[in-house]
Amino acid sequence: MSINWTRDAAAHLLRRAGFGGTPAEIDALYAKGSVEAAVSSLVDYTSIDMTAYEASLAAKNYNLLQTGGIRQWFLDRMAFSPRPLEEKMTYLLNLWWTSGITKVRGVTLMLNQNKTMRQYATGKFDDYVVKISQDPAMLVWLDNWLSRNQRPNENYARELMELFTLGVSSGYTQTDVTEVARALTGWTLQGYTQMDNYNGATFVDNPAFHDNGSKTILGRTGLWTGSDAISIILNWSDSQGTKSGRWVAQKVWTFFADDNPPDYIVNQLGAVYDSSSHSLKEVLRAMFLSPDFYEPHTMKTWVRSPVEYAVAQVRMLEGTTDFSSAVNSLSGMGQPLFDPSDAKGWDWGTSWMNTGTVFSRASLANALASNRGTSGTRFDPNKLLAGRDASTADKVVDTLADRLNIADVAPDVRAAWINYMNANDDGSRGNYTGTTAQVDKKVRGLVHLMLTSPAFHLA
Amino acid sequence: MSISRRDFLLRSAGFVTVSAMVPRWSVTGARNFEESLGSAYPGRTLVVLELMGGNDGLNTVVPYTDNAYSQVRSRIGIPAGSILQLDSKLGLNGMIVNGGTKPAMGGLKALWDANRVALVEGIGYPNSSLSHFTSRDIWHTADPTLAQRNGWLGRFLDGYVGNNANPLVCAAVSNALPRTLLASKVSVPSFVSIATYSYSTDGAYPGDKSNQINTFVAEGADQYEIENTLEQVSVLSGLAISSSTTLQSVGNGYVAGGQYPAGSLGTGMQLIAQIINAGVGAQILYITFGGFDNHADEDNAGNNGHNGLLLTVSDSIKALFDDLDAHGKSHNVLLMTWSEFGRRVQDNASRGTDHGTSAPQFVVGNAVKPGIYGTAPSLTQLDANGNLLIQNDFRSYYGTILSDWLGADSSAILGQAWPNVGFLNKSYV
Repeated sequence: MSINWTRDAAAHLLRRAGFGGTPAEIDALYAKGSVEAAVSSLVDYTSIDMTAYEASLAAKNYNLLQTGGIRQWFLDRMAFSPRPLEEKMTYLLNLWWTSGITKVRGVTLMLNQNKTMRQYATGKFDDYVVKISQDPAMLVWLDNWLSRNQRPNENYARELMELFTLGVSSGYTQTDVTEVARALTGWTLQGYTQMDNYNGATFVDNPAFHDNGSKTILGRTGLWTGSDAISIILNWSDSQGTKSGRWVAQKVWTFFADDNPPDYIVNQLGAVYDSSSHSLKEVLRAMFLSPDFYEPHTMKTWVRSPVEYAVAQVRMLEGTTDFSSAVNSLSGMGQPLFDPSDAKGWDWGTSWMNTGTVFSRASLANALASNRGTSGTRFDPNKLLAGRDASTADKVVDTLADRLNIADVAPDVRAAWINYMNANDDGSRGNYTGTTAQVDKKVRGLVHLMLTSPAFHLA
Repeated sequence: MSISRRDFLLRSAGFVTVSAMVPRWSVTGARNFEESLGSAYPGRTLVVLELMGGNDGLNTVVPYTDNAYSQVRSRIGIPAGSILQLDSKLGLNGMIVNGGTKPAMGGLKALWDANRVALVEGIGYPNSSLSHFTSRDIWHTADPTLAQRNGWLGRFLDGYVGNNANPLVCAAVSNALPRTLLASKVSVPSFVSIATYSYSTDGAYPGDKSNQINTFVAEGADQYEIENTLEQVSVLSGLAISSSTTLQSVGNGYVAGGQYPAGSLGTGMQLIAQIINAGVGAQILYITFGGFDNHADEDNAGNNGHNGLLLTVSDSIKALFDDLDAHGKSHNVLLMTWSEFGRRVQDNASRGTDHGTSAPQFVVGNAVKPGIYGTAPSLTQLDANGNLLIQNDFRSYYGTILSDWLGADSSAILGQAWPNVGFLNKSYV
């Protein structure tokens, strides 16, 4: 089975490894000529120069001392960074290893955690796990900073294995949770005080809080420290290889490809993890080069999260934004970024979608589609139609559906859009010819309808 | 313009047929309702309150005369002087929160004193999972083997309200749809306010609005034949519009008759009261409230400490019933609580409690047979992890509500017959 490298495949890869592409970006990725070259251009991103983007981002002066500001900052990166996969992988880590500002309180701690995730996004998993386990926001979020050698706090130890590295069905026991918690005692904070709004906390390994006794973790007994415990967990194996490799494989496949990966995929990607010293980059590369990734049943099945929805519409319409409208609507859409309500963060997939979030998404899309001003989130209908024959309803519908990667909708949906373009206010049939007034009313209306169609909620 | 639930059902017939070819959820004996039977009590409402995170039962209903309690909870326990006594062994948390004047669970105690509360002790299930997420799924589906896709009330909906055209027959007052309400034949709307629950269109062209809404509904139509992600999303457009139309009407003329606490739970409970007050036929209303995963700093004096959470819960329940009483609507309302587990008996060194097993839950309404079902939990006879033993299986708890409040065949929904706990008045009409 080999991969047929098509423009559709390139568009799919950009939707998944990034946040969706413009026609020009899709053309450019397709023009790499092979899936290997295209994937490399996304995965081997460290060679992409960030100087100009970082300067433009800094010039926007987002207030990084406020939650709204770091939300804008991260959304901007997802939409406009020249390294889309770096941001997509950082976003996966944000969802998977979540923390929340309501409990953490220090905005700078949340921002720094996000930077750590970006720094380690395609590195060796072990390095990431140690670093994030010592991350001040995470130490607060799952309480390890308060854990003491007498009666340790189990919160981080449990989620480290359940959510982060092994999965609840991997076979660890409650005793393992307790023993890992003992090993992690001593990893705590200094300077976590109200005096500087909780922003000054730094990690410290305090031997006075550490349980120096013998622990048995996943069958191995010794005077284990936190680093030892992480190493034991990540190297815990059975005949198929490491359990952490299969958990990582499961996570990245369900995030980038589709639900319920078959065992052979999980085993393949787990084997890549094992043979590459636990390299996230090589797991990603292998996934994007897997023929299964391009199967029809994989395409257009990922439900965009609210964040992806907000980013994709701006990107794909080549809009302009400071993301203030997105930030204001994140809660209503069910994803107050950097502020989940519990340790697991948000469920993915169809869990994002219900009647209330559909309306909240419609409000965000309407704010974009109906914005004729010079600030906030906006787009230019004429720019999208430039160089195209836009004199009839069906031609405008096809141009915009192609731009939003939803030209494959059922015929009756396309017909409904065309009817809308031609409809008078009383519902009777008129005739769209592309006058300035019609563009202002109906093209904006059509964009709103397309952004709120079931098809655009999927990537 | 609006689409009725019956239209959905006509279209969803194909969906059901095709999904019959894939493996069905199968708990031994559980029935797949092919035909909706209709509710036995269509005028009744069940309000479900989920306390997310694992509520610490021992600091909610306190065994205040048990010496073991003051030992295992010497740091964060509720002192005997701050107990609202229910009987000679158990009392509600009566701590004063955040410099206020009211005891945390004074609201619920007032309902107790009015003989409107049943307290069911020690609810859990065998081999309790200490994972939030596994345990939550078990409670949502009422199936410890997790073979069921749909929620326990979703199965009630499929069996008893599938032919109901009312888009608000069941709703979640939430930004998410809880799995408890996941059904095969009934789609359930979710919302958190009336004001934001409508389809926004371009304010510059109000005359185009109905074209927009009609097209929005058409985008979601006729895509029901096969079960896939697109169809799961497509079902929402029409339901959103029809449920919005109904919801927009429930605020008319409503004046609050209860003192709701600030925050999402108070706001949501008031919305529940409005919906019930409007008499739009809501049979199941579901609301969640989080923050109970108190691994550390559980006794902090603020609103986010455990005592503060209980104050909000207790005051919200009291306000709901006060409001319903003021409108003469409380007769047909029953409220139940659940939480994925209780917490460890022995506290940890960070003034918190780790994951536990069983916990008490509350059932509130005029139909309860008031009292305590079960006994004060033993703090010395524990399981291997130092957690409480189980007194009442959660399926007995659910089953009692299914059969005696909703008039449903609880053993068909739960896969087998579970002992009726007896906390509801069977002859209540």
